[in-house]
Amino acid sequence: MPSDALVLGFDTSAAHCAAALLRGDVILAECCEEMGRGQAERLMPLLEEVLSEGNAVWSDLDAIGVGIGPGNFTGIRIAVSAARGLALGLGIPAVGVDGFESREKTGTLAAVPAPREQVYTTPPGGAPRLMPQAEAEVIARDNGLTLVAEATPAGLAAAIARAAAGRYQSDTTPPAPLYLRAADAAPAKDAPPSLIDG
Amino acid sequence: MTQRLTILGLESSCDDTAAAVVRREMDGSATVMSSIVFGQTDLHSAYGGVVPEIAARAHAEKLDHCVRDALDAAEVTLADLDAVAVTAGPGLIGGVISGVMCAKGIAAATGLPLVGVNHLAGHALTPRLTDGVTYPYLMLLVSGGHCQYLIVRGPEDFSRLGGTIDDAPGEAFDKTARLLGLPQPGGPSVQAEAENGDPRRYRFPRPLLDRPDCNLSFSGLKTALMRMRDQIVAEKGGLTRQDRADLCAGFQAAVADVLSEKTRRALRIYMAENPACPTVAVAGGVAANTAIRAALETVCAEAGAEFTAPPLALCTDNAAMIAYAGIERFEIGARDGMDLSARPRWPLDQSSPAMLGSGKKGAKA
Repeated sequence: MPSDALVLGFDTSAAHCAAALLRGDVILAECCEEMGRGQAERLMPLLEEVLSEGNAVWSDLDAIGVGIGPGNFTGIRIAVSAARGLALGLGIPAVGVDGFESREKTGTLAAVPAPREQVYTTPPGGAPRLMPQAEAEVIARDNGLTLVAEATPAGLAAAIARAAAGRYQSDTTPPAPLYLRAADAAPAKDAPPSLIDG
Repeated sequence: MTQRLTILGLESSCDDTAAAVVRREMDGSATVMSSIVFGQTDLHSAYGGVVPEIAARAHAEKLDHCVRDALDAAEVTLADLDAVAVTAGPGLIGGVISGVMCAKGIAAATGLPLVGVNHLAGHALTPRLTDGVTYPYLMLLVSGGHCQYLIVRGPEDFSRLGGTIDDAPGEAFDKTARLLGLPQPGGPSVQAEAENGDPRRYRFPRPLLDRPDCNLSFSGLKTALMRMRDQIVAEKGGLTRQDRADLCAGFQAAVADVLSEKTRRALRIYMAENPACPTVAVAGGVAANTAIRAALETVCAEAGAEFTAPPLALCTDNAAMIAYAGIERFEIGARDGMDLSARPRWPLDQSSPAMLGSGKKGAKA
């Protein structure tokens, strides 16, 4: 990995737009805005502001890092779709970084806040899933870890940029949203009548 | 027309992920250099309709591949383009947002101008792409999600004469197929059944013909079909093949009759403007129905108007129409910023009173 790689990381997986521009190991610029809605309108101008603050232009980038969730479905898609468009237009890789990796710290069990006192977390040795926060706390305690659900959006964007910088040359999978919940949809109920001469 | 324009279009407002490259020469002739459509029919088939969240998920992971395929098929690179056009509404918002964000990413990365396109304008301008139809023409948009009559006067100048006050006919075809156990999408399967049926055996209502306007209603037709089906089932314990074919034929005849009569009325309004080349164009998936098409052709012939319908691949959702509408908007100077909004509701005619969803969120289409 060239130590001076320029990577833009961003995240809209919750009520915020956050971005960080990383060169090597140094955060050159970052910006974070809390917002309940309007991320689709705000994200690209905000990214351009971060680039400009870091005295960079789009074509200087070596890679894109994007938060893939879990989180707000629409929010995740806003960032992932933008990242894919940017990667295509710039001819550089985009790396998806999930919310557990971007919150990872030694001695903690990373959790992503979810509605109704639930969190998404990855039990050690298991697959990530949605569970009540109380259950996640028990899992953390049983494993000698501290459950950490809080994270600043700016911290997330920086962590995403660092993770992407670490593997953009080897990870060629296009970023895809990590939903961890199926779409709400019930199969059609009204079964049609049978054909009596069928 | 001052320059040759090559524009990439993206479309993701319903259940088709599409990208296309369209080029317009200086003489005004336009060519579809590529038009890639990834359908999602299989993803939604178990649910008896398009599930917005499932559609949005598929769009988000397909759009960029679709764009690559469209560029490859057109044998161009991003450097050969003049702009990126994208459907910015109306439609299922999750998909529209993905399309808008992907287009913004491409535009920001390449420095290409971004042009947001109304999905309905894409359909409404298609006759100019395919047949070079001149303004003003009468447009019947008739699909699974829309049904309206428009006088098209320019790339951003539409007058709506009327439209559905509830469901779109394509939706009624799908529902009919579902009620009768025929495969989705309902349009082709109901038409195929209707070909073996007697349209006179079951009499379906012709809603709103008693009103002088150009408005339509199709939700009662779905209910009428369900009642007739249930009545037959109650009598015999099921349907025969002939019952099913006759129900389809009766239903299709009702839709064709209503569309013919309302088209006749819309034509009267349009012809009163003395257009230089009177033309009626039809677009949307329902335009593929041969019985409806034949009925509309008859009405146009009576009124002395040309009838035109784009080829099916450009009648149903596609991105070539978005690229073309983008060309027309680009040419009159339209450019959108990186703050372009995705809009679930976006009527083409901003001045006529709202017909659908006239609540606080505003008109749907």
